[in-house]
Amino acid sequence: MNRSPENDGPVPSPETTDAPPASAVVEAVLFVSGRPVSRRELAALTELTAERLESGISALRTRCESPESGLVLREVAGGLQLATKVRLAPVIENYRGEARPSPLSAAALEVLSCVLYLGPVSRGGVSRVRGVNSDAVVRGLLERNLLAETGRESESPLAPALLNVTEDFFIASGAPDSDDFPPLRSLVSEEELARVRERVNAETGPSETGPSETGPSETGGPG
Amino acid sequence: MTPESGPLPESGPFPEGRPLSEFTVELDVYSGPYEWLLALILKDEVEIFEVPLKELIDLYLSSRDTAATNALERDAEFASSASSLVLLKSRTLLPLFEPEPGEEDEPIEPEELAGRLALYLRVKRGAEVLRVRLEENSGHLTTGHELRPRPGWLKLDRRKLDLAARRLFSRLEEPTVSHLGEITVTVQELAALIRTSLGGSGPVSFEEITREMDRLHVAVAFAAALSLANEGAVSLSQSEPLGPLTLELLT
Repeated sequence: MNRSPENDGPVPSPETTDAPPASAVVEAVLFVSGRPVSRRELAALTELTAERLESGISALRTRCESPESGLVLREVAGGLQLATKVRLAPVIENYRGEARPSPLSAAALEVLSCVLYLGPVSRGGVSRVRGVNSDAVVRGLLERNLLAETGRESESPLAPALLNVTEDFFIASGAPDSDDFPPLRSLVSEEELARVRERVNAETGPSETGPSETGPSETGGPG
Repeated sequence: MTPESGPLPESGPFPEGRPLSEFTVELDVYSGPYEWLLALILKDEVEIFEVPLKELIDLYLSSRDTAATNALERDAEFASSASSLVLLKSRTLLPLFEPEPGEEDEPIEPEELAGRLALYLRVKRGAEVLRVRLEENSGHLTTGHELRPRPGWLKLDRRKLDLAARRLFSRLEEPTVSHLGEITVTVQELAALIRTSLGGSGPVSFEEITREMDRLHVAVAFAAALSLANEGAVSLSQSEPLGPLTLELLT
């Protein structure tokens, strides 16, 4: 089959004189994609070798880091994404005539943190950790596509839905994956925990057994 | 207005229509001004459970003066108070929640409480980390171009689809038929009546056959006429849509 190199087929091999640089190919694909594109997908689309692909990504990143560029190459949600630089946001928002989404409430951030670090977790699990019913907050986060139901807690009665953070969450937080966040245990110092135990003992009386810091579903880090 | 607020103004001409304070009710449990009834309910001197709200609303509807200039205002005032009564009565109808013996929250052990507080503290710190991350990244904007989903990329949860289909095709609530009353006639009986009416007398209008019947009998007679036409026993003709229906015996 005869395929026109201008509108069909993979990138010409570097041996041919008209082969575009790998960075240009990566830039073009990322430019038209609204979603992050994984390295695997980029390689499959362009038929670039792993070495050429990495070289192209590196060259594109360097080009974007120049003050002359209005773009930034981000590694988010398991892929690469071209976005505008933060300092240009007012211009873009003015052009699009749209306001930036309102910041999340403290309750919404707590729920997101819960799901990120302890997920997949049910609504009941979130509410137990926070000590208040969180269903309405969860609903809002589902509507904003920052949380999604990704399964069922089959062992529990009624098999409640399990929540997890979404690709949009990782894009919004600028994280490639959950490992990009500090481990849960590192967020509170031992001194602070000791003060918590002291206060509990002062309220309820000292306990003979040692303190249990691990909640029912706590893990050392997100993911 | 409360029962202590004195007698109501005397009735007289109300070019604007009577205000709601002039609305009086006649119920088994109470007779007098509507606003006094509200006050007595709020003071627990009349049991809301015993007040027939539908009857109350019917009374109001029958007393409405739709031509009055203040009709909308009066209706709104009544709707507001009546909806409060509905809410109040609904609450009295609901069972009071009392935990069963043994269902009370068990006292939490200090070490478990400390563990829960430590976990919550960590989650709260995590929320602070997220707040900063989200704020830092909120200014990165991407292309507005939306790619079309590729064929086969649309993920459908089979269980969700099944549930949605069940909801769509199942009748969630049986329609009420209480307004129809007891059906005391059969299609066969009225089919026999139609045959008798048509016997040797040429075409007869459906209206003539059903002249003495109530609505239920007319409906069943129509079903009987359709049944007879389907069997080929009679012919149905109608000169125009919704026009008079004429029946004629074929055999």
